[in-house]
Amino acid sequence: MLLAGVAAGLARHLGRSTATVRWWFVLLAPLGGAGVLLYLWLWALVPVAEPADAEEAKGLRRATPVALLLLVALPITALLGSVVADLGAIGALAGAALVCCAVIAWSLGVDRLDPSWPAAYTNGTRLLAAGILLLCAVLAALGVTNPQGVMTVLLASLLALVALGTLFAPRLVKLWSELGSERVARVKEEQRAEMAAHLHDSVLQTLAVIQNRAGASSEVARLARAQERELREWLFAGPAPVGADLAARLREVAETVELEHPVVVDVVAIGEAELPEDAGQALVAATREAVVNAARHAGGDISVYVEIAVAQTEVFVRDRGAGFDLAAVPDGRLGVRESIIGRMQRAGGAATVRSGETGTEIVLRWPETRRA
Amino acid sequence: MTERLTVVIVDDHSIFRSGLRADLDDALEVLGEAATVDEAIETIERLQPDVVLLDVHLPGGQGGGGAEVLRRAKLGRTRALALSVSDSAEDVVGVIRAGARGYITKGSSGPQVSRAVATIAGGDAVFSPRLAGFVLDAFGAPAGEQAETDAELDRLSKREREVMRFIARGFAYKEVAAELFISIKTVETHVSAVLRKLQLSSRHELTAWALERKLL
Repeated sequence: MLLAGVAAGLARHLGRSTATVRWWFVLLAPLGGAGVLLYLWLWALVPVAEPADAEEAKGLRRATPVALLLLVALPITALLGSVVADLGAIGALAGAALVCCAVIAWSLGVDRLDPSWPAAYTNGTRLLAAGILLLCAVLAALGVTNPQGVMTVLLASLLALVALGTLFAPRLVKLWSELGSERVARVKEEQRAEMAAHLHDSVLQTLAVIQNRAGASSEVARLARAQERELREWLFAGPAPVGADLAARLREVAETVELEHPVVVDVVAIGEAELPEDAGQALVAATREAVVNAARHAGGDISVYVEIAVAQTEVFVRDRGAGFDLAAVPDGRLGVRESIIGRMQRAGGAATVRSGETGTEIVLRWPETRRA
Repeated sequence: MTERLTVVIVDDHSIFRSGLRADLDDALEVLGEAATVDEAIETIERLQPDVVLLDVHLPGGQGGGGAEVLRRAKLGRTRALALSVSDSAEDVVGVIRAGARGYITKGSSGPQVSRAVATIAGGDAVFSPRLAGFVLDAFGAPAGEQAETDAELDRLSKREREVMRFIARGFAYKEVAAELFISIKTVETHVSAVLRKLQLSSRHELTAWALERKLL
């Protein structure tokens, strides 16, 4: 693509080569500027085709540094203005100013939106054009030209304004669009907060009442609790802090166990730290086993407390069942010994089981000893 | 104490109020109910109950909910227990810093609420595992921060941290006492001390939350 890709687009549409179409435009150009006009007309009115894929998009690169070429052509235009049109210095200044405006327009309207040109080039050409424009303005104002009174001053101020506008235009446009998107985000957030407040006041309360009235271990209460969890997650979903990953995974574990067993699993998670993936996996799997174990043998309320710290991450799973004696568990039962203790040891952690009349508590630690 | 404890229930959902009323222990006498901030203030000041069961989210007033009730009402000898479906730290801290002596979730059963009311009426604080976990987090316990002296408000002492951890793990006060070889009374003292710190501490996290919610 040399200029705007009109020739290439037309060529694709007609099934000819791009070069042929380009030559047609060039040949038509001397006929009263027909080629140029046709080109501009097509450019303005024909919709831009989306690139079919990334490869094609890469190929669609504007090869001509139009703005730069225009700048180079600036002295020629100035010369044409003063000599050919016979307008003297005023003509030269006007010609130069016109070209500068064209450069700025091209730079703002075309180059800036085209990622294939580096920002330094876009800004550079624009700054250069603005500089020349300012120079023109100063020259016009100083009356280097034949002082022609009001017109000169007006022209000079106009040029100066355009030059200043050019310098600040991108920043203004950016500021404006940022303001717009910020406003949209704020409105969205407000709507969400309003909806959350409403749901909070109505649905969550009702779900709590249902659970209370139906009794903790009934099917209805479990359904209500699952719904409450889901809604709560949606309502209070904020930016997830580091280490929230483990807490979130453990909450998921609690949720699934609650769905499968008539128990209430309360998860309290605090602290944050990065854990290696295998340690995290071992903790989650061992916690799942511990919670399932508690749900099967004890039932009722199960407390899960997670303390995530850099020195050591600990998970406490506690139930209020009758308890059991680990030593009395037959070797064939994999549950506690293999899935919890063995798994934690393999991952470089440790697990202990304490069981008494008031319940059982399984403690998982990773790493095995606290890091200093 | 042979006299029955008097209670006022403040919640904007009548279905929740009547449910709770039916579930509460016989040892508690419900004097009245209220559904909005202004109604709650009026009811509490008129009836002067031992304990007010206060929902965190309430309509009316200046929109401050339960915390606003506690700040505006002349509480006298009335103590407050916050009840909420909300888990969010802002809600919990807000109402505790406004003066509530404890916080439990609305999912708690009638007997649990009744026990909490009795504890509050006796001058002690009620901490759910969630509140204990939050306190540990807010006071930097996972990072190993620890108070040097008893007077320090911004960090927990070693003992307080131990007590909070047991509560977060789901232990009752009695069980905490047995674990740490101390009396239940001592556990209660520690919990009350933590509650005081939670109310008075100027720790950055707490202040930030409070400011955000326009509580200060």
